[in-house]
Amino acid sequence: MTELSDELLVAYVDGQLVREQTRSVEKVLEHDDVVARRVEALKDAHGRFESAFEAILAGELIEILAAPVLPPRPKRKRGNGLAKIGIAVVGIGIALAVLVRGYSWPLVLRACSVTGPVATMQDAPAKAQSAPSAY
Amino acid sequence: MLPRLQRFADVLVGEKREGKALLRRALHLMLAEHHRYQRGTPLDRFAFTEIYRVWLGELRDHADPLRQAKSSDEDFDRLFPKDRGADLDAFTATFLGQLPPQQRSTLLLVYGEGFDYVGAAKVLDSDADTIQARLIRASASLADRLSSGSPARKKASSTIVTLYPAEAQEYDHDRAQ
Repeated sequence: MTELSDELLVAYVDGQLVREQTRSVEKVLEHDDVVARRVEALKDAHGRFESAFEAILAGELIEILAAPVLPPRPKRKRGNGLAKIGIAVVGIGIALAVLVRGYSWPLVLRACSVTGPVATMQDAPAKAQSAPSAY
Repeated sequence: MLPRLQRFADVLVGEKREGKALLRRALHLMLAEHHRYQRGTPLDRFAFTEIYRVWLGELRDHADPLRQAKSSDEDFDRLFPKDRGADLDAFTATFLGQLPPQQRSTLLLVYGEGFDYVGAAKVLDSDADTIQARLIRASASLADRLSSGSPARKKASSTIVTLYPAEAQEYDHDRAQ
């Protein structure tokens, strides 16, 4: 009767032996019922481990598939870019117009009273431009 | 790949809720330290390695790592889907639940993921001989339990020398690590 260690038999069941070792074990298995039963028991254990881990994986898949899928975030609608630019340009224009006309008018009057109408009309634009910085 | 990573984390920890939390932490770490990934390394092996590294690092921070690593049978049983009914092998499930985490994860990597001994050793920061020893110990132990009581096994036990003890709960050098 041949004695084979579990170390060798587990390696055989796991397919980790080289070809010559595998053949040697198989020769023993052919005529030794005890070793053959041990190999069967180890194969059974191997198969049970595989089945158990497959079952756990199946559980993970079920759980992941059953998990509620969050709806995608609604994308912010982008407005018309040109319209926004247009509105901005118009707004800036209005602001400049108010700035020039609204603030420069008193300065023009003040200039008129000091230096006379003709000189004032010529100097007024330059003074008007510098007026905002005074405020 | 996500279900496989989840399974690895669950089996390592021994329960679902903590396993999920472990996987989340490990994934965050992988993203933060993606430079650790070396081109050519299989992504699954890298991910398994990182999960194990996170688990081991956190375990070492505990005052009593061995107690922390233990999980209850009930928690481990919950890893198996209940709707499989007759397909569930309660005997093997209980057996796996009683194994130390390193031995359980070794079995998973080799028998569940198809890693060879060297690949499993790289994931678990070990060597191929240790992986083989863990597999032999677990396989021989389950085989002994399955065939215990049968006349054939009693006869066999007198002729074949089993290298490792039959009881899964007996000394495991992994616990000493």
